[in-house]
Amino acid sequence: MHRRARNLILLTGLCLLAATQGAVCAAVPGPYLAALRRLTETQYRNSIADIFGPGIAVQGKFEPDRRIGGLLAASGGTLSITPAGFEGYAKIADSVAKQVVDEKNRARLMPCAPKAVTAPDRNCARQVIERYGLLLFRRPLTPDELKARLDAADNTARMSGNFYTGIRYSLTTLLAAPDFLFRTEFAVPRGKDYTLDGYSRAARLSYMLWDTTPDTDLLKAAGSGALDNDDGVKIQVARLMASPRLESGMRTFFSDYLELDTLNTITKDPTIYPKYSEDVAASGREETLRTTIDLVLKKSGDFRDLFTMRKTFINRPLAWIYRVPYNLNGEWMPYEFDEADGRSGIVTQASMLSMFSHPGRGSPTKRGVAFLDIFMCEPTPAPPANVDFSIVNDTNNPNLRTVRDRLMAHATTPACASCHTHSDPMGLTLERFDSIGVRRLKDDGHDIDVSTVIGNKRISDGTGLGQYLHDNPKVPACFVRKLYAYGVGANSEELEKSAVQPYLDGFVAAGYRLPPLLNAIVTSRQFFSAPPPAGALSKVSLNATDR
Amino acid sequence: MIHTRRFLLRGLFQGSATAMALPFLDCFLDGNGKALAATGTAIPTRFGTFFWGCGLTKALYLPKSSGASYEDTPQLASLKPYKGKFNLLSGFRAYIDDKPNIQHWTGNAAITTGTAPANDTQFDAKTIDQTIADSISRGSRFRSIEVSCCGNKRESYSSLGGSNINPPEISPLGLYTRLFGAGFQDPSKGDWKPNPEVMLQHSVLSVVAEDRKLLSKGVGAGDRARLDQYFTSVRELEKTLEVELRRPEIAAQVEIPAAPEELPMSKSVPNLRKVTPVLAKLLAIGLATDQTRIFNMAFSEPASTIYVPGDSRPFHQSTHEEPVDDALGYQPVTSKFSTYSMEGFAELVGALEAVKEGDGTLLDHSLVLAYTDTSNAKLHAVDGIPMLLAGSAGGRLKTGIHYAGTGTSVARVGLTIQQAMGLSVDRWGTDSNMTNKPISEIMA
Repeated sequence: MHRRARNLILLTGLCLLAATQGAVCAAVPGPYLAALRRLTETQYRNSIADIFGPGIAVQGKFEPDRRIGGLLAASGGTLSITPAGFEGYAKIADSVAKQVVDEKNRARLMPCAPKAVTAPDRNCARQVIERYGLLLFRRPLTPDELKARLDAADNTARMSGNFYTGIRYSLTTLLAAPDFLFRTEFAVPRGKDYTLDGYSRAARLSYMLWDTTPDTDLLKAAGSGALDNDDGVKIQVARLMASPRLESGMRTFFSDYLELDTLNTITKDPTIYPKYSEDVAASGREETLRTTIDLVLKKSGDFRDLFTMRKTFINRPLAWIYRVPYNLNGEWMPYEFDEADGRSGIVTQASMLSMFSHPGRGSPTKRGVAFLDIFMCEPTPAPPANVDFSIVNDTNNPNLRTVRDRLMAHATTPACASCHTHSDPMGLTLERFDSIGVRRLKDDGHDIDVSTVIGNKRISDGTGLGQYLHDNPKVPACFVRKLYAYGVGANSEELEKSAVQPYLDGFVAAGYRLPPLLNAIVTSRQFFSAPPPAGALSKVSLNATDR
Repeated sequence: MIHTRRFLLRGLFQGSATAMALPFLDCFLDGNGKALAATGTAIPTRFGTFFWGCGLTKALYLPKSSGASYEDTPQLASLKPYKGKFNLLSGFRAYIDDKPNIQHWTGNAAITTGTAPANDTQFDAKTIDQTIADSISRGSRFRSIEVSCCGNKRESYSSLGGSNINPPEISPLGLYTRLFGAGFQDPSKGDWKPNPEVMLQHSVLSVVAEDRKLLSKGVGAGDRARLDQYFTSVRELEKTLEVELRRPEIAAQVEIPAAPEELPMSKSVPNLRKVTPVLAKLLAIGLATDQTRIFNMAFSEPASTIYVPGDSRPFHQSTHEEPVDDALGYQPVTSKFSTYSMEGFAELVGALEAVKEGDGTLLDHSLVLAYTDTSNAKLHAVDGIPMLLAGSAGGRLKTGIHYAGTGTSVARVGLTIQQAMGLSVDRWGTDSNMTNKPISEIMA
């Protein structure tokens, strides 16, 4: 059997039975499009680098993501592509394809050479398009899809008198296609339920663990049907988890979970913080990712220690923020804060402190709202509408000198209190850190009281907040919820508790360690479950005869 | 189809561009200076929006009298040179019925969709600029152009509905490159020839459009809508490329400027003062050369956090924290941010007015809605949201009038705009916002 035809049959899953036993394929319900997830910018970039090599530049404008249920990754499941956005993607597609056929890349990237450079060569074009079609669409092309691309390659080569011009424009049709720009997740019936087909499983695994497109091994496993059973999944997961690429995948997850992309959009008032720069922001991001990955992945440590550890990694700009000597020639050095420094894990790192602040000063409210949302999955409701905030803060009032004083006055109004008593206490414990994370002991010349009460717990300062988050069972529960939502592209706020409880139980039992948790999620059947097709009559077979 | 394209392309590659059967018509005005005589095409009417966050200060912007002879007010001082060319609209109300007042969002979305939104950062319908684009963008290069003056890639309030926004240009250089970079057909070049690469790019898109088949099976309604939006976007790019294959012809007298330098973008007021005029001028030339007929400029976000360096309180924070000065009757520092926002709008209006076109200016052939998210930001109020309408839409509107909406629906403004832009629509909005009463007092 021709490889293409065989792949197509494998794609349709249930039609394999038809091919070997002579059943009528079209009568069996086949794959349907269960979900559509727009690639994120990093997924796009990583995919192109893996498919064509890191030497291919990806330059252009991506559509912005939105944070849904605390995750940018989840917005891929609800956003589409706008006219201006597609214009950007089409330009990137054109530029990538142009580089791929460039003379200096041909030897590496073209699986064959044409009989003559000046004319179409359908056989060679077929090899190119089948290869990159599989990699870009994360599944083999259907005969119709392939034919359209080969026709385009032939026509363009004939008209331009250049085989590679034909390939270039044919590749562009793959790169600009919805099947590349979106992860198309196809599902098939399994018993009474529905589950992802092999290729869609491969993509889900790969983007979850590596944040990139499935590699050849994974695609082969999908094509052979190995990913359709639990054992086959486990074999591939073991390989993916053992790879150093897991680190880059988890960096993307933690960046999303901790909302570190916010560092790209904040600005600080240069008259108040003249030394703050993009370099400081980038350093803060890297510090948080380094310390997090080191603890939860490299050391497979207790996730909760993220909130209490005093060990970190710093570089020269951060040494300035933390006011510690930097006596290393290298770029990053491990560093451990003294207890007296008042630092407590990621909670008091420059990144978290500066992201949730105003340009010219810190903000207990912003910090409190962000931490509740990020770490406890408790988004703060919007303030009540049309309420008169007339108890406002008068910076000239001699009785209300500090931010804390003014906030407290504000929060005595019952309508304001409902939210501020919820959001402010956490943030108030961090008031000894300014808008960029530098420690300060006075606010406007006055001592800063950083004690607070959360629920019925008295908390003395930032390290107390770290300990509070460390001990709070809502924090690991929220983390598991977001990790699962990240993988399946769901809104974390809409997941049933029962859907995440088994993972959480396992996480707690295994000492809050990330690798076993990841493994439990991606090897579970639920991870690959799919919603039923739209309408009972929509289970349409995608086999060749019916298309 | 393929045969035709091949024929056309072969023509291109053999240097015989005449095989393309595209209109190669010279551009000049008719005797009245009103139309392109060769084609009989009138100068297009453009529509744009200018959004700023946190409203204005009632005590400083709202004139006591209405009609054509209303008195000057301090917060609109920067617009005084154009007083006869815009209308001030006050007192309109966004009805929320049983929906929540989503702070800094309800007012914004209700004005541009005629519908109070159900969810934060989502539009329950296409925004008005996109409805107008459906009707007037054909023939221009881009369906619409969005710009964020603060350089925030998420700051655009133009949408085809839902949570997708039309992404903005976030720097003068970015805007310049989009408008006048690759693909721009310079109308002042005498030796214009269509670019064969553009033809090939166009042919690529028809292959992509065919991919719809496989994806349409078994798909749910939400994903179907998203796929529809994707394929609509493909079609829009096809139209863009079709325009790039036609000889450009315009009526305006403009020169294409050199590329601006890469400027830092931020929410600081001095920076906004530097960047906004550059963006406004580029937009004006983009409109004059018919790169687009629709634009949306966001000066700041809802709950605007623009700030003055050295003062640790940004605009939004200030609206809630600064006390009302008893003697003045308003918040003195907060009100300055509103004034800065109006200065930004004046820059845009001035840039449109500066381009001479036909018998008037680009502003005369435009209609620009300036709007915001609240009336009194301190209270998050959505009644009495201030709006301004600059330009007469090619003479379809009277200008120089202050009209007080006296609590009627904000959708009346949107309905008036659509009628002025030539759309045949006689009612607009939903629920209590729905209206069939345009502001007849300003209709010409």
